[in-house]
Amino acid sequence: MISRPYALAADVGGTFTDVVLSGPDGRLHVAKALSTPSDPTTGILTGIKLVLDGAGVDPGSVGRVVHATTIATNAILERKGAQVAFVTTRGFRSMLALGRYARVEEDRFDIFFEPPQPPVPLTSCFEVSERVTADGSVLVPLDEEGARQVGEHIAELGVDAVAICLLHSYANPEHERRLAAILRTALPAEVPIVASSEIFPELREYERSTTTLMSAYVGPLMTRYLGTLEQRLREIGITARVQVMESGGGVMSAELAGARAVATIESGPAAGVIASRMTGLALGRPDLISFDMGGTTAKACLIRGGQPDITREFHVGGKGSFGGRRAGTGVPIKVPAIDLAEVGAGGGSIAWIDEGGSLRVGPRSAGSEPGPACYGLGGSQPTVTDANLVLGYLDPAAFAGGHLRLDPARGEEAIDRELAWPLGVSRAEAAAAVHEIANAIMASAVHVVSVQRGIDPRGYALVAFGGAGPMHAARVAERFDITTIIVPAACGVGSAAGLLATDLSTDRVATRLVRHADADPAELAGIYRDLTASGARDLAIGLDDAALAVTRTADIRYLGQAHDLSVPVPEGELSKADLDELAERFYARYLAVYGSAPRDPVEFVSYRVRVTRRIEHQEFSALPPAQDGSPAGVRQAYFAESGGFIEVPVYTRDRRRALGPVAGPLVVQDAESTVVVPPGWSMTVDAADVITLERS
Amino acid sequence: MSDALTAEVLRNALMVAAEEASIVVVRSAYSTFIVEGSDASAAILDSGGRLIAQSVATTLANSMSLSLAVPHIVDVYPLATMAPGDVFATNDAYQGGIHTNDIIVVRPVFVEGAVEFFTGTLIHVSDLGGMSAGGMAALATDIFLEGLQLPPVRIASQAGLDAAIERILRLNSRTPDKVIGDVRALIAGATTAARRVETLADELGPAALRQGVADYLAYTEARMRRALAGLTPGVYRAEYPIDDDGIHLDRPLAVRVTVTIDGDQAVLDFEGTDPQVPAAVNSSVSQALAGAVFAVRCFLDPTIPMNDGSLRPLSVRLPVGSLVNAQSPFPCGGRFVAVYAAMEAVLQAMSDAAPSHAIAPSGILQPFSIAARHAPFWIHLSYDYGGVGARAGRDGPDATGIHFGLGRNSVPQVEPVEVRSPLVVEAIEYIPDSGGPGRWRGGLGTRTTFRLLDDADITTRGDRLRFAPPGRDGGGGGRLGGFYRVPAAGDPERLASKNNNVRFRAGDAFVVETTGGGGLGPPHERPVDTVCRDVAEGRVSAAAAAKQYGVVLSGDGMADQAATEQRRQQMAGR
Repeated sequence: MISRPYALAADVGGTFTDVVLSGPDGRLHVAKALSTPSDPTTGILTGIKLVLDGAGVDPGSVGRVVHATTIATNAILERKGAQVAFVTTRGFRSMLALGRYARVEEDRFDIFFEPPQPPVPLTSCFEVSERVTADGSVLVPLDEEGARQVGEHIAELGVDAVAICLLHSYANPEHERRLAAILRTALPAEVPIVASSEIFPELREYERSTTTLMSAYVGPLMTRYLGTLEQRLREIGITARVQVMESGGGVMSAELAGARAVATIESGPAAGVIASRMTGLALGRPDLISFDMGGTTAKACLIRGGQPDITREFHVGGKGSFGGRRAGTGVPIKVPAIDLAEVGAGGGSIAWIDEGGSLRVGPRSAGSEPGPACYGLGGSQPTVTDANLVLGYLDPAAFAGGHLRLDPARGEEAIDRELAWPLGVSRAEAAAAVHEIANAIMASAVHVVSVQRGIDPRGYALVAFGGAGPMHAARVAERFDITTIIVPAACGVGSAAGLLATDLSTDRVATRLVRHADADPAELAGIYRDLTASGARDLAIGLDDAALAVTRTADIRYLGQAHDLSVPVPEGELSKADLDELAERFYARYLAVYGSAPRDPVEFVSYRVRVTRRIEHQEFSALPPAQDGSPAGVRQAYFAESGGFIEVPVYTRDRRRALGPVAGPLVVQDAESTVVVPPGWSMTVDAADVITLERS
Repeated sequence: MSDALTAEVLRNALMVAAEEASIVVVRSAYSTFIVEGSDASAAILDSGGRLIAQSVATTLANSMSLSLAVPHIVDVYPLATMAPGDVFATNDAYQGGIHTNDIIVVRPVFVEGAVEFFTGTLIHVSDLGGMSAGGMAALATDIFLEGLQLPPVRIASQAGLDAAIERILRLNSRTPDKVIGDVRALIAGATTAARRVETLADELGPAALRQGVADYLAYTEARMRRALAGLTPGVYRAEYPIDDDGIHLDRPLAVRVTVTIDGDQAVLDFEGTDPQVPAAVNSSVSQALAGAVFAVRCFLDPTIPMNDGSLRPLSVRLPVGSLVNAQSPFPCGGRFVAVYAAMEAVLQAMSDAAPSHAIAPSGILQPFSIAARHAPFWIHLSYDYGGVGARAGRDGPDATGIHFGLGRNSVPQVEPVEVRSPLVVEAIEYIPDSGGPGRWRGGLGTRTTFRLLDDADITTRGDRLRFAPPGRDGGGGGRLGGFYRVPAAGDPERLASKNNNVRFRAGDAFVVETTGGGGLGPPHERPVDTVCRDVAEGRVSAAAAAKQYGVVLSGDGMADQAATEQRRQQMAGR
């Protein structure tokens, strides 16, 4: 570590690739490069060279590279992963083709509704004779000759990978293992064969299949991509291995990312939440709502007691407006992921008037091309960004780190033409309405992660980042009586900064349904022991290493209910009393979530382990305080409370650094974002450039 | 800020309130349907029961039930007698309800001390008595055999759940704890939504909320009228033949509709529909209404919101005492048969009115239950879907039905079923050639095979298992499905569409085959490559490709060009 004290983080987004460098002096260096979708490594390399040159740091002194990538997500959404063959139990070859989709919202009344295309065509789905029952016993032995024939068929198809999911393999993986071994003999060594019992051995064959399939689908692509990235890094003298952010908030080695590629799906958004957590904890605030608003989507996540909420099922490409992605839409992936509510609206969302004469925002987005009208890149439709520009919240000269100069006339013209004139209102009124509707959509994401889960958000601080987050945060907070907003330093590259605060982690799960009354503590402790050992092996860490941390949870439910809740499990051996305590924790958690908790019998369903290998992180140092605290200038901005447009001071962080609070209305101009501070709020910048807004 | 500008904010808030209610119910209910992934319904209504907003997963069938039940509840408990904290419930099929197993819960929302809105929730509860567990009394001849009837009652007040009503429900349920758990979940959901609406009234002010809601409904009505005005005016007739009522197997029934498109409004008149029968195939008024409205909506802009505004331009006439508007004591447990009949009849009439949106008839829902005959009791209550009819320009989706726009995610997965019940599901597979042939092919039906590990009673309800869904515009009909008993040794036996508690022995197999959807357009016009792909995927057999589509395959799965051309010319000339 001493010889190579620098750490690099790269977060590839839809428009920009953000790179952050931290070193022994505790300073953060930031660079933004345009993303290069055809080969993302080009954009990353550009950003890394920029940041190293800017800081005057030698590539050889970089000891850690952490990466958030959307490779897996894009591969699934755009269906350009590997060609995969799917093998299952005889009688279920149609499982994926039949699917388990829901028709939601507008699809409901659409006579032309098309079910989603199956992730694997029927012609690449195979079945073998075998059957294991729910208790793990073998009903029909594996037909090994049949398995060999399936292997030959698959070999003829020339696929890149094979996914196996046999019924009840979570209870007894023997047939899957044997089948994998037989297929291995028929297929080239470079074709990965992924068995569901290895990836995520949980009850419910459909989600287990899609999870396994997606692992197989994305794995080869991920391995190739990371190989290329490491090669290009070596060419410029960076020899550190790449670590990849996983959806649960940790990072994985490049090897593990290839083998468990589905775990990287929420890579970037997870990094943003980790950055929020880091910023909040540094201020002594463990209860936070992370709020990330970018160009096309906004995401909210609840952090309770310093821990982000984790979900165990995630729908890639899912849709739905009032609860994030809805079950039955998109591809379900059963890996632990930071539980984000996502809404499909951001700065690029188009504002329009529907045929009933109603003003709407989204779901269509202008994206980065052609982009909002004010980008002057050919977009003609008014967007949230155009409205924010009209309202004086954005500075046309300082957008996206100066990468883009905004054209106010184009934004104004679009708002007038498409909204103000047809509605017969002023330009400012139309823009303010667009801003307010966007706030309501943002609020629905915050609502999902807080109020809908029985959490009163009033005691929480909202951590706002992303290009548009700090512009909308105060109005979103007001809807929930949230009185504190935190805007991290370098908030425009918040996710990249979060990457540097991560540890190496991996998750394991096993399913065994046992009634609480019948449960054997020694058996459950044994399951946890095995899961922990397997995770530690993947992280290359000994079980007695001081850097090892293990979190154990159990999924518990009422007998007869389908929805279970996770509760923490104490370390070490388990006693009968420990199991009773788990049931008590379940009742308490149930009461907190649903308001009442009968003392009915419960059963244990699944056992989860998160193994973490802690890494030492750089501390951020204080920056020199500001001299006089005066604003950099003034401009007209719109605040309804003040009766419309008024002249407000424009600050930069360094002008208020480590000074006392200043009362709104005002705006803070950042390289990548603008913090809008409405009347009733005050703004403070601390010595580490973190902004706090407080509402009186 | 002008209210009209941000009407969207209010709509968003109302939807979120309904959504939240449904999430609360789903997370805390016990009912098998909910356990297997179905959604709970939740809606926001005005004090007259008019629908304002519903959760995104709420089917029109359930929101119409909540909507129609409210006036009946208010008849018994006038608004002025309601107190904050009161919650009302009913399952009366003749007063807005669906059938005895679906419980409606509504909670008044007080604004300035008076009831202005209701929030409602509804699920199929685990069990409420009747001749068959879980509300599947397929051979009931009156509603008394279907289960406990719950008239409008004040089920809870500020003081909590009414203890007397709780005792009545418990005593009438095979699963007393679960049914009370379900009721509590419904109350919790309605209460959650009521709090949200009250908060909205506080934030916006009562007058603004009232005006906002009125504007929303008017806006929806205007969009609906504009959409209707885009259809070709005229009078369109269609009917759906019901296989039988389950008791008199030689007596088909019919639901008939006349759709009149007249400018920006439409009349759906079911005059001519057969009278109600003493068998579980009648529909209550709320359900037939929902089926008819759903079918019309399929031909209009799908993004029009679903609320009272979209109902105003529609006049739906459901003759009292007919299959689509049953009166006490005619049973309604198998209402989906008449509801589907109404829906399918309107879909066919509307397809004539709007050929660019035409859809061929579909295979429908096939519900069934497999229940323990002795303790410990278990029940597997489920349904499979038939294939959807081909649409103008697209094939019909496989095994999805068109049931109020639901998808396949409510069909249970194998592993949890086997964990809970002594069953082995041996296969869930496509039935090749079950989709009606056509230029656009009908969706396929499926075959599900259950091997019983213990003796069990099986109850079924199906339709379109005798009269196949026909094709449209030259397309062929879908293949008929059916329910079968396959003894461990012996020949398969085809069961009637509707059965009650057929005894199965351990070792027997129960097979559910669903009916395929009808095809649309002449099959010999289907592109050869598309037929070859159907054959490669096993959706169409090589024999059917030749016989029905005129595509003659050579050994490698490719079409024999010459033979195909010759065969297709013959077909076209015929």
